[in-house]
Amino acid sequence: MNSLILGCEIKNLRRERLLWLLVVVTVCFSVLANYNGYQWVSAQNAVIASAQQEQQKAIVTAQQGLTERKSSNKPINWWDDPYDLRGQAFYLMVNYATKPPLPSAALAVGQSDVQPYFFRMLVTSKQDFINQYEFVHPLALLIGKFDLAFFIIYVLPLLLISVCFNALSQEKQSGQLRLLMLQGLSPRRLLFNQLVIRASIIILPLLLISVSALLLFSEGIGLLAISFFIGVVLAYALFWLALSALVISYGKTSAYNAAVLVITWLSFVIIIPTVLNSLIVTANTAPSRIEYVDSLREQTDEVDKSSSKVMAQYFQDHPELANKKRADKAEVTAGNETTNLPSTSYSTKKIAKIIATEKAMQPFDDAFQAVLMAQQKQAEQFSYLSPATIVQGALFDLSGNGLKRHQDFIEQVLSHHKTLRYYYQQRIVSAHQQGDFSPCEGCNARITVFDLAQVPQFTYQNKKTAMAWGSILMLLIFSEILMVLASLRLSMMNRSQTNAVLV
Amino acid sequence: MLTLKKEWLESKREGRMVWLSSIVLLLLGCALLSSWHSYQQQQVQKQQVIKSERERWVNQGDKGPHSAAHYGIYIIKPDTPLLIVDPGLSDYQGSVLRLEAHKKNDTLFRSIQDAIQMQRFGDLNPAFIMQTLIPLLIILLGFHSISAERESGTLKQLLANGLNPKRFYIAKVLALTGSGLLFFAPVVLYLMYSLLFSDSFSADRSTLFIVSYSAYIFIWSILTLSVSSYAKTSRSALIILLVIWALACLLVPKFAIEDAAQRYPTQSSQVFQSKLESEIYTPARQQAIAQFKQDTLAEYGVDKVDELPFLWSGAQLQFGENYANKVFDRLYSQRRKQLKAQSFHYQNSAIFSPFIALQTISMSAAATDLAHHQLFTNAGEKHRRLIQNTLNGDLKDNGLQSSKQNQRYQADHHLWEKIPDFHYQYPGIYQLSEHYGRAALCLILWLAALVLLSHFAIRRIEREGQ
Repeated sequence: MNSLILGCEIKNLRRERLLWLLVVVTVCFSVLANYNGYQWVSAQNAVIASAQQEQQKAIVTAQQGLTERKSSNKPINWWDDPYDLRGQAFYLMVNYATKPPLPSAALAVGQSDVQPYFFRMLVTSKQDFINQYEFVHPLALLIGKFDLAFFIIYVLPLLLISVCFNALSQEKQSGQLRLLMLQGLSPRRLLFNQLVIRASIIILPLLLISVSALLLFSEGIGLLAISFFIGVVLAYALFWLALSALVISYGKTSAYNAAVLVITWLSFVIIIPTVLNSLIVTANTAPSRIEYVDSLREQTDEVDKSSSKVMAQYFQDHPELANKKRADKAEVTAGNETTNLPSTSYSTKKIAKIIATEKAMQPFDDAFQAVLMAQQKQAEQFSYLSPATIVQGALFDLSGNGLKRHQDFIEQVLSHHKTLRYYYQQRIVSAHQQGDFSPCEGCNARITVFDLAQVPQFTYQNKKTAMAWGSILMLLIFSEILMVLASLRLSMMNRSQTNAVLV
Repeated sequence: MLTLKKEWLESKREGRMVWLSSIVLLLLGCALLSSWHSYQQQQVQKQQVIKSERERWVNQGDKGPHSAAHYGIYIIKPDTPLLIVDPGLSDYQGSVLRLEAHKKNDTLFRSIQDAIQMQRFGDLNPAFIMQTLIPLLIILLGFHSISAERESGTLKQLLANGLNPKRFYIAKVLALTGSGLLFFAPVVLYLMYSLLFSDSFSADRSTLFIVSYSAYIFIWSILTLSVSSYAKTSRSALIILLVIWALACLLVPKFAIEDAAQRYPTQSSQVFQSKLESEIYTPARQQAIAQFKQDTLAEYGVDKVDELPFLWSGAQLQFGENYANKVFDRLYSQRRKQLKAQSFHYQNSAIFSPFIALQTISMSAAATDLAHHQLFTNAGEKHRRLIQNTLNGDLKDNGLQSSKQNQRYQADHHLWEKIPDFHYQYPGIYQLSEHYGRAALCLILWLAALVLLSHFAIRRIEREGQ
């Protein structure tokens, strides 16, 4: 019986021109979404390659010019001198921290277009570089890219609704259903077969194109990631099919089914996520960035005013940087203003101030971080209110373009920033103590940077994030519930229709 | 009149539509209230920070003018009250700009960088509801308005009884537009309030806002009824209208901006910043400074800079600023040109989507688009140059005495007070028509095309009665 229904349904579908148009739309959109995803990945890779090239070029140029610099007596400002630790630390260093896209990055642009994926590092306070961003037309960020995640979350349900909304109801309206039931066919079996066939013509091209693209263009992608992606798409499609079955099971007209399904789509894909987001943001209000500026200025001024206190704290935190001969003088308490400190250069003071400013701003930064984490935690908890938010979370995490990987990247960037600062601060102190910065009256500083390749370089250590199999499970549970409800309603319809047939 | 009454009764009977409409109205009310609350808070914070920043600048104490130039100031982007209705691109652009020596910075603190990933679904603000959801509601209210009459056979009966098709159609359009405008009511009330209590600056913007949103609602109403009159069944009318909605509000904007970015690409910030540095700090700059030194010495007929009647370092710093400014002007104007081309290309796509037309006009009226942002950053840059000029000029003119005494010259609050407060007000909206003119034209074209379509729709209804 099943093969008969399937054969009949395929024959019917062949006649529907609109349906084939939807298949063409699915194919075109799948290709376009994949293309956009890979374009974005390749654009990011190009920027990262350019940054690395610039970094390498700086190293090579410095190596090539070393001999000339050694022999030159031409006056040069330290801030223009690539062979001076201070010039490198504060102005000239070309040191990038970059986040390379994952092999699965093309699946979802996620937040990678709004969050920075590269930082040019200098020995400055983190507030000076952490807010860098890639400058593109802001409208492109507001509207977002047409990527696979968008296609799956927004368009796939609409395509599924378009092919499924008149299943069974068309047969009912035309009176065919009664005839079919006379031959022993149950509405449930007919509907489920119709849905499977109709959904297949949308889902199969999508999966075929996307998986082929992953296998062809995503070097190093694991089979597990591909399986997870397929699982998410199938579970999400199943949810919409189950929902369609439930709506259809009420036995109303096709137009009614379409209207209800579109309203449900609107609720799940647009209204619930945006309302949820607004509620979460309102419940966990982030501190104001405008006030943050105010605090930053206040703290910087405070640090500038209490210079000796800052230096005392600095040498208390870093006794190894105090001149050993004068180490006793470094034994000062940060609370007491004192001038009894080791001899310090402008650069050491500058680094001490940077550290002090960062320390003073830490509670403000922590406040932002705490709110962001609270918001994200709630967003994850409430994501089960809509299948769209479940799928978004799963795809963003899978692509490595979500909040988790970005946070991990920022942590590594900040750690690298500290490493770089420590690298320079100890060498600057040592050079100052050896008199390298002013070997004689009016002459250039001695060379204190011989090989830029020795400066710590950033390599992003990719943390393996667990795949959100729970998302698939939740979608399957929701689908199961909807299908059970639809089955119950269809059984009722079966009874009432059978009675009608008998009468 | 009878048709209008019938439409009203039918809408009332449609329980789910009443519910849905109530939900959307409630959402719109909440969005408006929440936007208003955060706007009020933000304005207080902005005024507070502007005041503190000024106090900090004036009371920074005695120091060298160049140290003050590096100390810099932060300026805050001004808002219009229409931000409440349409925040536009404000979350994606940042509202704080640091003005300092040697550097032209981009604005800081884009809210989107502090957002969770769910934010990418969109922000529940009044503009989002009115631009995206209300058209969908109009479709759901009106897709079967004429097709259902046809399906049930009442259309033929009505026409046989002497119903004037034109009046019938116009009444349907009015009823549907009226329902659409009902959703717009909370926003109109807010705008009326702002019109009554604000200056002519906001009044022009509010008027443009009301007119364009009303036109948008009218467009969707006519579109819905035209499709409903052509479609054989309500089902096909609904499908066609949903496809048009999805294309106009979701897909065409994405394709349009993606296409604009492909056609008029901008350089990545990494390349841009590296280019800025490599074009400013070049041997050519060193040579230009050396040449300037030679020219200055020759002009004053002296051999050494110490013999000049002013402090050389002040003049050199200003020369460096002017040199960098030329590079800034060239590179930033290249970037601005590409961004403007992207904006125009996007606006041209409004021919395929009334959403794009309205979105552009709405953001312009609310001063939350890129053009207004650039007006602010340009004004900021002008102010930065004024600061550098004043400070370097002071160092040049007054620093010589201290230098001769082997001391560092220090200026005081008299100099800091010479730098005026940064105040910026956007020009009137009609002066900026270049930035939304194409969109406005497209909106008018949509109106004209749909009025023409209505004409054919009425004739089709007429033919059915024959």
